[in-house]
Amino acid sequence: MVKVEVFSSPGCAKCAQAKTVLKAVATELGPDKVNWREVNILEEIDYAVELGVMATPAIAINGKLIFVALPSAAKLRGELLNRLG
Amino acid sequence: MHTIGKLALQANVTTDTVRYYEKEGLLVPTSKTGAGYRIYDEEAVRRLRFIKQAQQCGFSLTEIRELLTLRNSDEACCKDVKSVAIAKKLQLEHKIKALQIMSLALSELIVICNNETRPLDECPILVALESSIAKQMKGNSNG
Repeated sequence: MVKVEVFSSPGCAKCAQAKTVLKAVATELGPDKVNWREVNILEEIDYAVELGVMATPAIAINGKLIFVALPSAAKLRGELLNRLG
Repeated sequence: MHTIGKLALQANVTTDTVRYYEKEGLLVPTSKTGAGYRIYDEEAVRRLRFIKQAQQCGFSLTEIRELLTLRNSDEACCKDVKSVAIAKKLQLEHKIKALQIMSLALSELIVICNNETRPLDECPILVALESSIAKQMKGNSNG
């Protein structure tokens, strides 16, 4: 099981758009393989800082900051498949 | 209308600061007198106070320029300003965390200095800093 956390700020249109596209990748792989969590940066700013998030949107996988800018759906899929073996 | 001196006084800054902001493109005089003296209107006073307030919140002049552009843009909305503020907050939180780590490191060094009458060459704080520098240099040469 891979844990994906998407850090975004409320009202960020860029974030909403990215989330929709990328969540489809996670859904496609299946909820038994990918745990998808959306993190509101304002509610969990300490956690975001701990992971090194400097800007939103950002994506952490298994508790590590992997994407500091928007990845393409293919890039995220590749990263997840890598971890799923 | 205000002269540069009156404008500076109203925002509690120096005239040099006003000229510096002008050089940085943050503030432009409304007009100039025949003798070349800068003249400012009320909007300049508001703009100068805005710059000062934003600086106190930790915004750099580059970020303030971005905020001022948003402030005067017809296409921008509150959401755009909010995202600049969120990015700044994240940056500040990172700085706070780094400062806390530095403060903890200093606390540890202060604790090991338990005899203040020791000569300088036996000062445990200086010794610890020296050994940390030596470790870093060794690490760099190995890496």
